[in-house]
Amino acid sequence: MPTPLTLTPGRGPDGVPRLAVSGEIDMSNAGSLADALDGGSGPLVLDLTAVEYLDSAGLSVLFTHADRLEVVVTPLLEPVLTVSGLAGLVTVHSTGAAGGASSTERTTADPELPGQE
Amino acid sequence: MEPSDRPGHRPPQPTAADGDVFATDREMRGDLEAVDWAATPLGPPRDWPQSLRTAVRILLSSRFPMWMAWGEQLTFFCNSAYRRDTLGRKYPWALGRPASEVWAEVWEDAGPRIEAVLTTGEATWDEGLQLLLERSGYSEETYHTFSYSPLRDDAGDVVGMLCVVTEETDRVIGERRMATLRDLGSDPSVIRSEQEALAFADRQLAGNRQDLPFTLTYLFDGGTARLAGATGITANHPAAPAVLRADDPGGVWPAATLAGGEAALVPLTGDAFPGLPTGDWPEPPVQALVVPLLQQGSAPYGFLVAALNRYRALDEGYRGFVELAAGHIAAGIGSARSYRAQQRRAEELAELDRAKTTFFSHISHEFRTPLSLIMGPVDELRTVLADAPEPVRQELDAIHRNGLRLGKLVNTLLDFSRIEAGRMQARYEPVDLAVVTAELASVFRSAVEKAGLAFEVDCPPLDEPVHVDRDMWEKVVLNLLSNALKFTFEGAIRVGVRRDGAHAVVTVSDTGIGVPRAEMPRLFERFHRIENARSRSHEGSGIGLALVRELVGLHSGAITAESTEGEGTAFTVRLPFGTAHLPAGSVRCGAGGTAASATADPYVQEALRWLPEGAVGTAAADDPGAGAGANDAAAVPGPVARARVLVADDNADMREYLTRILAGAGYRVTAVTDGVEALHSVRRDTPDLVVSDVMMPRLDGLELVARLRGDTRTASMPVLLLSARAGQEASIEGLRAGADDYLVKPFAAAELLARVRTNIELARLRSHHVRWRTALIDSLQEAFFVCDESGAVVEINAAFTDMLGYGPEDLPYAPVHPWWPDAATDPDAHRQADEAFSGVLEHAQGSCTLPVTHRDGHRLWAAVTYNTAQDPETGRRVTVGTFRDVTAERYAVQREKALAALSTCLSRAASLPEALSGALAELKALWRAHGVLAAVFERGDAPVLTATDADPRWEELPAERRDALAGLRRRTPLTPVTGDTGAGVLLEHPDGPLAVWIDLGEHRPFTTEDQLLLSLLAGHLAQGLARAHQIDQQRETAIALQRAILGPARLPDGFAVRYEPATRPLEVGGDWYDTVALPGGRIGIVVGDCVGRGLEAASVMGQLRSACRALMLQDPSPAQTLMALDQFAASVPGALCTTVFCGVLDPGTGELTYSSAGHPPGILAPPDGSTRLLDAGRSLPLAVRPGRQRPEAACTLPARATLLLYTDGLVERRRRPLSAGIDQVGEAVHEGRGLPVDDLATEVMRRLAPAGGYDDDVALLLYRHPAPLEMSFPAESAQLAPVRKALRDWLAQCDLPPEAVQNVLVAAGEACANAIEHGHRHAPGETVRLRAEAFVENLRLTVADSGRWKAPQPELNAHRGRGVALMRAMMQHVSIVPGPSGTTVDMQMRIA
Repeated sequence: MPTPLTLTPGRGPDGVPRLAVSGEIDMSNAGSLADALDGGSGPLVLDLTAVEYLDSAGLSVLFTHADRLEVVVTPLLEPVLTVSGLAGLVTVHSTGAAGGASSTERTTADPELPGQE
Repeated sequence: MEPSDRPGHRPPQPTAADGDVFATDREMRGDLEAVDWAATPLGPPRDWPQSLRTAVRILLSSRFPMWMAWGEQLTFFCNSAYRRDTLGRKYPWALGRPASEVWAEVWEDAGPRIEAVLTTGEATWDEGLQLLLERSGYSEETYHTFSYSPLRDDAGDVVGMLCVVTEETDRVIGERRMATLRDLGSDPSVIRSEQEALAFADRQLAGNRQDLPFTLTYLFDGGTARLAGATGITANHPAAPAVLRADDPGGVWPAATLAGGEAALVPLTGDAFPGLPTGDWPEPPVQALVVPLLQQGSAPYGFLVAALNRYRALDEGYRGFVELAAGHIAAGIGSARSYRAQQRRAEELAELDRAKTTFFSHISHEFRTPLSLIMGPVDELRTVLADAPEPVRQELDAIHRNGLRLGKLVNTLLDFSRIEAGRMQARYEPVDLAVVTAELASVFRSAVEKAGLAFEVDCPPLDEPVHVDRDMWEKVVLNLLSNALKFTFEGAIRVGVRRDGAHAVVTVSDTGIGVPRAEMPRLFERFHRIENARSRSHEGSGIGLALVRELVGLHSGAITAESTEGEGTAFTVRLPFGTAHLPAGSVRCGAGGTAASATADPYVQEALRWLPEGAVGTAAADDPGAGAGANDAAAVPGPVARARVLVADDNADMREYLTRILAGAGYRVTAVTDGVEALHSVRRDTPDLVVSDVMMPRLDGLELVARLRGDTRTASMPVLLLSARAGQEASIEGLRAGADDYLVKPFAAAELLARVRTNIELARLRSHHVRWRTALIDSLQEAFFVCDESGAVVEINAAFTDMLGYGPEDLPYAPVHPWWPDAATDPDAHRQADEAFSGVLEHAQGSCTLPVTHRDGHRLWAAVTYNTAQDPETGRRVTVGTFRDVTAERYAVQREKALAALSTCLSRAASLPEALSGALAELKALWRAHGVLAAVFERGDAPVLTATDADPRWEELPAERRDALAGLRRRTPLTPVTGDTGAGVLLEHPDGPLAVWIDLGEHRPFTTEDQLLLSLLAGHLAQGLARAHQIDQQRETAIALQRAILGPARLPDGFAVRYEPATRPLEVGGDWYDTVALPGGRIGIVVGDCVGRGLEAASVMGQLRSACRALMLQDPSPAQTLMALDQFAASVPGALCTTVFCGVLDPGTGELTYSSAGHPPGILAPPDGSTRLLDAGRSLPLAVRPGRQRPEAACTLPARATLLLYTDGLVERRRRPLSAGIDQVGEAVHEGRGLPVDDLATEVMRRLAPAGGYDDDVALLLYRHPAPLEMSFPAESAQLAPVRKALRDWLAQCDLPPEAVQNVLVAAGEACANAIEHGHRHAPGETVRLRAEAFVENLRLTVADSGRWKAPQPELNAHRGRGVALMRAMMQHVSIVPGPSGTTVDMQMRIA
């Protein structure tokens, strides 16, 4: 039985498509996330503020769609994104606290940043 | 009793180990078996305990005298050596009897000592104790040195005693008698009179009233015997009449028998002996031994009455003692009398010398007439008999030579007396002094050249005559030349004449020995001679140079001398030219010059005789007294038993003359030319008499005497001095130097022979004294020696040789003495000997004990007593000492020490193997062995070995060693066996026969003392091993029981426990720990301590522990549990006062409720390094107040804190506050913060252990909060979420920051994902294990699978490589270890 994961699609106030995820993302359910992302194209805001855990399997999915994603996370996940290098490829918005309102926009500093992939 | 097969009396199959206890002594076996042991408190031998059997076997196998007493009545046993030496007629009656009955007569002495041994367990030591024993049919004075040592039964209690005894009666009595004899011979003053000698002897005899209760000394005086001395008895006693008639048969003492030289034994009974003095004894003497005071070759001087000690038999030794004492008194009388006689003779001799001197000076001038009458015919005869046979001519030459010499001496003396009297008639005539002097010199040329010297004459004619008296001038020149030749041994003699202003100067110089500066002023003094100067001859009157000066003076001339010692001497004579200085009327004109006159001849002839024999031609028959000597010799009695005489004289004629006279009279004669050679000859082969001239080159007669007297070996050598120097002064000088007699030349052959004979006889008589002294010293049982100042041993006695093996033939023994222990092989002993010997040389007197080595190599211990003394003859300091062989005593002490050391070692041993190896180490140290090896022959296979060095295996031992050990098995137990390189013994080991081999290396004797000691130690060891075995078994049982009670409960995670029994005395106790799984995941924790030790305490503990478990399950409240336990404990004997800590822990929250029944507080150590005591909730120990309410306390264990519960053995130490122990525990916990909790428990036990181990048992329980998380799950991705959940919960207990928690979760998740994805790709569902453990300052995470990871291939599995990178980024340390059975990921993170 895969780890429970809730995926809620929608659009942001600016009309950009938005996918809110809640639960924990690991190898057992990363496939669900991949399926959801693979289904579309164009910019997408991925709201991970309700995700308490993200492992490398989930990160792989994010890397695959890095060129069209903006990610919103709580500080809890920030280290994973930074360490993996994903933060260098996508715009990451941190909520300051899990589920908090404020948002800090990050921009790509160096598109050529070598990733592990 | 028959040694029959009656069943029940003896075991049917005696074995070496425990069978026939008496088998060791075949001689006594029968008698021992005949004893009705069943009638004694000991019962029949088959029922005897092992300890008694061992003791009896040791006793019987020893060759040392021993007896023992065992049991309530102190039943008596002894061995055959004791039977022989001490028991006497009491054997075999004494065997098996109470010791108090056997030794009833000395029980007063022995009883309290034995009692002391039995009550204190300490050995006694008595040396030379006097005991009056009834063993020989009379009350006998005896002395014993012995030790009583305790004997213990199988339980270790003292139940008897063993006495190792040396009978020392002979030594003690021998020493006492020797002391008396020594004192008798030690009169420091010269004994002047008979009375003084006797008084001195009495004082010494009175000092020994034990051997001589009283004594009387009678001296014969014609037909009567007169009382001359008495000790221990008053002079008016009927037994001590002042005068005894020799012919009175009814006299108190048998004077007639004694006058005949016979000794008599007189019973002291009858009227003459009422109320006799008792000496030092309670009863008066019953016999007296009367011995003659013997005189060499004559009737006895008198006799000595010696009352005898009634407590000793009159044996050889006693009789010898009395005779030696009498011998000394006789010698004292003899020497007093002969001193008187000698003194008289010396006075007569002096008177004679005075008369001789007068006579000689009166008539010396008369010599000239007979001399002329001799010389004339001799000259004629020499002419007539020129062709006569050689011997005749030689005799004539000798007569001629000595006649000339005599004439010269007489003339010189006459010249002097003329000069003295002013009657010298000089006739001065003018001569060419150079010519006259050169002619005189030429006369000496041949003699000088024969002496190997150059002769240089430098006499150019003078331009003016010198007026001289030719006769006088001849004497001047000849004397100077003669003098030069006499003292010159190499180089040249020069004669020169020259003019120096108004004087003619004549010089005679040589390259001789020269004259010492101090002697120069007296050079021309009349009769002055330079003593000890090296010269060709010591003949001479000492008037030559004096005469020369007088003669030169008569010419108004002057003579001077210059000399440098060792370089030469030059005499310068200055004579004035002209006649103005001469008395008118004495000057002649132009007399005819004759060549060297007859005056020169005596000088030359004399000089030639100084030269070595070969240079002149021998003259064997050349002696003036030969005929007369031979004839006269017939008139005096013959020589004493071919005595040997050494003749020393530098004058060849005199030497030959003396040789001839003495050889003709039957003496064996050796002749030498001076004192040095005489000394050599004496030392080479001791003569009976030395006849020596006084004046000799190199070493003169007086110095020779002094040297002889200075050497103990020749001190008593009789010496007869010969000299031409007459007069009392000279003879006194000779006698003072120590010469025995003095003969003045000229002497008649008969007188010489008479003196020689007398001196040899006197010496033999006197040497009685010396021989007596030698006999005395030799009869000492103690070794005797004399050391000179350098430490060389110069004299020893027979006992010395017996003890050390070194005899008098190699004297002197210079240090380092050959009997010192070898510095190379035994440096310790060598150092001891060195120190002791330095003490001997430094101190005036003292005593010491030192190790020495017998010539055959065996070790002795000698107790030396020494004293310094002045050698009366040489005045030198000597050290006189005696020593006793104390090896046996030393070994007795050593035995006690060794037994004590072994006992200590055995009692300290915690186990059987430890006891054995400890004992072997003791044996090794005791014998300074190379090693000690023990083999236990268990059933079957190879023996089990124990060794002091390494751990050899049986198969690796040399074959001969295996044979030796196996051979020991066939020996009787406790009977040592010695071999070339060591010794062995067999004894009982609980596992089988035990063979012990002591490897001593090559050439180390294993003495009988060593064997005895080994036997005793082996017996002790066997008992000790049996005890250790028993203790071992008890202890093993107890520990097994204890462990069985305590374990093997499965501990909850996070806990560690320890139980340690006390090290000594090897007992378990009543401590326990327990954990109980309670409902709701809670854990009950109990640590308790029952009072007492051993199995009883352990069983109480077991009951309390079970009860406590049950009570906690029923009601998991610590206070309720303890209150219920109070009730239970009240009904269990031995449970009162048990202390218990009881707690309930919620491992999820760390909440702990607890209650303590008088137990030491638990310790809580939070991660910050501090400690907290759980000292609330305290109340009384169990069952003290059953029913009383107990308090309960609660606390929360902080994350990563350690809880520590224990029993008091862990922290309680004598003289140390409990808080110190608790602090120590806190420290140990803090320092072990990085350790897993089980390792921490080991570390705490180690750090808290006292040096010698815990002396109380200890229970310890540790818990670190939270307990580690352990999870196993199938390798499926669906497991990841629940695992994460559990880990998240556990991390929450660890009190970590949220980021850290997330990091750990990510890292763990990646590791688990890897395990699932890689490890089990092909076998899903295999187990993955995860373990997380919190330490105080870090956290450790392990994920293990059973598969093999692929090497990371990022290009194919980008996200996997990303996973490993995440793990490394999240944790401080990551290691991935692939193994055959799986891959393990180990990750650690520091907790800030």
